[in-house]
Amino acid sequence: MLITINGSPRQVDPSRSPTLLAALRDQLGLTGPKLGCDHGECGACTVRLDGDLVYACLTLTAACENAQVQTVEGLAEGNTLAPLQQAFITHDAAQCGYCTPGQLLAAAALLERNPHPTDAEIRTAMSGNLCRCGTYPKIINAIRAVSDAGTAAP
Amino acid sequence: MSRERTRFVQTTVEVEGRTETRVVEVPAFEPAPWTADTPLSIVGTSPLRVDAFEKVTGRARYTADIVRPGMLYAVIVRAPRAKGTLTAIDLETARSLPGVRAVMGIGDAPAGTRLFKREVSYAGQPLAAVCAESLDTAERAARVIAASLVIEAAPHAVTVDDAIAPDAPQVRKAGNTTEPDIVQRGDVARGLAEAEVTITREYRTQVALHSALETHGAVCEWNDDQLTVWESTQGIFRVRSDVAKALGLPQAKVRVIKDYMGGGFGAKNGAGAHTYTAALFARTLGAPVRCVNDRRAEQTDSGNRPATVQKVTIAARKDGTLTALVLDARIPLGISGWEGGPAQIFHEMYACPNVRTSETCVYINASGMQAFRGPGYVEGAFALEGAMNALARALQMDPVVLRLKNLATRDERADREFSGNRLDECYAEGMRRFSWHSPVSRLPSPVSRLKRGYGVAAQTWPTGGGPPSYAHVRINSDGSVDVLAGTQDLGTGSRTILAQIAAEALGARFDTVRAVIGDTERLPYTGNSWGSMTTPSVGPAVRMAAEDAKMQLLEAAAQMMGLPLVVLSTRDSHIVSTDGASLSFGDLCRQLGNIQIVGRGSRGPNPELAVVTVGAQFAEVEVDAETGVVRVVRVVAVHDAGRIINPALAESQLHGGIIQGIGYALFEERHIDRARGVTLNANLHDYMIPTMADIPAIDASFLDGADPAANHVGARGIAEPPIIPTAPAIAAAVADALGVEVCALPLTPWRVLGALAE
Ligand code: FES
Ligand code: FES
Repeated sequence: MLITINGSPRQVDPSRSPTLLAALRDQLGLTGPKLGCDHGECGACTVRLDGDLVYACLTLTAACENAQVQTVEGLAEGNTLAPLQQAFITHDAAQCGYCTPGQLLAAAALLERNPHPTDAEIRTAMSGNLCRCGTYPKIINAIRAVSDAGTAAP
Repeated sequence: MSRERTRFVQTTVEVEGRTETRVVEVPAFEPAPWTADTPLSIVGTSPLRVDAFEKVTGRARYTADIVRPGMLYAVIVRAPRAKGTLTAIDLETARSLPGVRAVMGIGDAPAGTRLFKREVSYAGQPLAAVCAESLDTAERAARVIAASLVIEAAPHAVTVDDAIAPDAPQVRKAGNTTEPDIVQRGDVARGLAEAEVTITREYRTQVALHSALETHGAVCEWNDDQLTVWESTQGIFRVRSDVAKALGLPQAKVRVIKDYMGGGFGAKNGAGAHTYTAALFARTLGAPVRCVNDRRAEQTDSGNRPATVQKVTIAARKDGTLTALVLDARIPLGISGWEGGPAQIFHEMYACPNVRTSETCVYINASGMQAFRGPGYVEGAFALEGAMNALARALQMDPVVLRLKNLATRDERADREFSGNRLDECYAEGMRRFSWHSPVSRLPSPVSRLKRGYGVAAQTWPTGGGPPSYAHVRINSDGSVDVLAGTQDLGTGSRTILAQIAAEALGARFDTVRAVIGDTERLPYTGNSWGSMTTPSVGPAVRMAAEDAKMQLLEAAAQMMGLPLVVLSTRDSHIVSTDGASLSFGDLCRQLGNIQIVGRGSRGPNPELAVVTVGAQFAEVEVDAETGVVRVVRVVAVHDAGRIINPALAESQLHGGIIQGIGYALFEERHIDRARGVTLNANLHDYMIPTMADIPAIDASFLDGADPAANHVGARGIAEPPIIPTAPAIAAAVADALGVEVCALPLTPWRVLGALAE
């Protein structure tokens, strides 16, 4: 079965990987989506499915036929980082970095929906993505910076 | 070659109250300390985290991202109850499942691994393991084995009260409690007699779980008799010695690699069941094996901050002068664990002539404790700082004034001076940033269900680090620089700051220096990244290695340039002379060809001084008096850690500590079902850690300055201090808001309402 991953159609066998997270990691070798809990509790596995944010650990591979999936690997164009990625670097918004791919996708989806979120809107939208290192204040700063810069595509 | 230096010296050191004889190595030279006035251009600035690119692109490889050709997957089967004897287990059905390659049970692992024992002493204890071609298959087979377990149950004790009851079941053969560890100075009876105000409270703190987002895990691969271990760890050399010992291998045959890791917080300091399981299966099956905890295993059996019950008596004169501090603490460690309880901060935080602490460790049928960010001090500070705040209320004194009155001006526990301690300035700066108005003089809150309150608490924490730690600085033939040190970056930024220190000492441009860490085979030894020790331990070794390399570069340059050594120095990756001549490192090294310049550095002995990081935190809360919900509105933190190598990364560490402190204060608590002894909230949904929605405005900073008496870099550790005062500051603010104290953590709505109802 075919899934379009970061713009390229890829062949995936749903019987080998029941969850999208397992398919992305084990069959396609992507390391961006992380396993933190496997139960929809942490957001480390966050990816975008036809634009929507989903927890890949709770998403059935079989339900993704012909869908568009974006992982953190699809944010940059080659080595040119997306503004959000650059802002995460500039604002030191990644400590251990394990939650970072999920945070970036959640932030990208937020800014697409709402290019100028209030602090409260950022906090609510991002609260499904845990960070045990406590990088939250700097993630907020990074999102703020991109939002203030008014860059359309985050 | 003359060897006049006495390199190895025997000395007596004090380790947790005991005196030990240790060998100390005296480095070949000690660079002159960087003082507060030394002009530095890279250290003290905030170049961006060097590995951020990998992290934001998803290219950073964590242990669970390691894939080896033909890799297999192992899963551990764990005990479903707290105590008993395993009387039946069926491994054969699992073994015969398609895709299963091997199983292990009782007696199949070497004794040194302490795996797979028949006697069950806590829920979550490893009893068997299975290895299969896919993780799914391994998990399915593990469930088959789990369903076959027959455990003849025995009575258990999972709380401190149950374990010390007169008819308590036996948790450990040697007894359920340790002998009380009593430490005292002065005469507490006299101190209590002299007091005009005496406050007694019982404080209780909960079990907290590290909950690193990346669980414990290892990938093991054998090549003939050589074992490579990829492990998510705070101590690669410790994992190497653990594995070598448990499996009976020479250390030379074990290589441990840690590239990226998703947090540790104290729980990842050695090899674990997952490491041994992967290594054993990999050896039997001749294939690489990955064994990574699932979230349930992580929250059940990967360490925790133990609970405490602390009875505190604090005595003072009317003017606030402390006359006695008394602590009687019980610490349920779990089935195992080291001490490191709440007592020590009682001896170090304040000037007080009469102090007596007693700690009794209690064994319970639950997974053993592991150090968790600021171990002991976090728990102790909740009680000590809570009691100080209660004393301030009783005396109608500003709690900051009370603290300043009793400021420790020297380390009274070990009877020595501080290398530096500017806690008084932390209070002053914190008060200024917080606009601290004395809670005593503030008007009562208007009648409303939302009550505001303000609180303060302080911390101390030993952050001197120490030897042994080694580093090499290698100049490549194009003038670029490798810093080699067998340390690890947990997310703290050590890769970045070690490169900063080397660049500064060498006079190299920061972007030409790369720190290589995390590999026991290729790098010189450093200790574990624990105890906020990496910067003060490895930093000086790196600086010395860079200074050594610089001297060699200058010697070479003097000959190439035909100039005397004394006129040469380095700047911006150039050798420069006082008369304006300049030669780039690259040009110099190209002339040298492949003659290699390697500087060697080691961490010298510590001074006979107490090296501590101190700080004060101020919290504002809003408490809903009807629902009991506490919201932290803002936290101001000011700490003194000597020189800050990279202010942006240091601020991130403060944020992390404070945010974990908020979780500890408000909602983090492991719940164990008393009847069955199993953890009820072994996941990230019911064990709640702070989300972005929970965090207040945080203003966190360090005092400017340096501590050249601590070490020649002038830096102390910073990672653990910020979590220590957060919970007591929040508890003080809640007490201020409500007029009643809540003496147990976390400050959940029902505890708050319970305290209000009393
Ligand atoms: S791994 Fe999917 S939400 Fe945690
Ligand atoms: S940066 Fe470590 S979990 Fe977020």
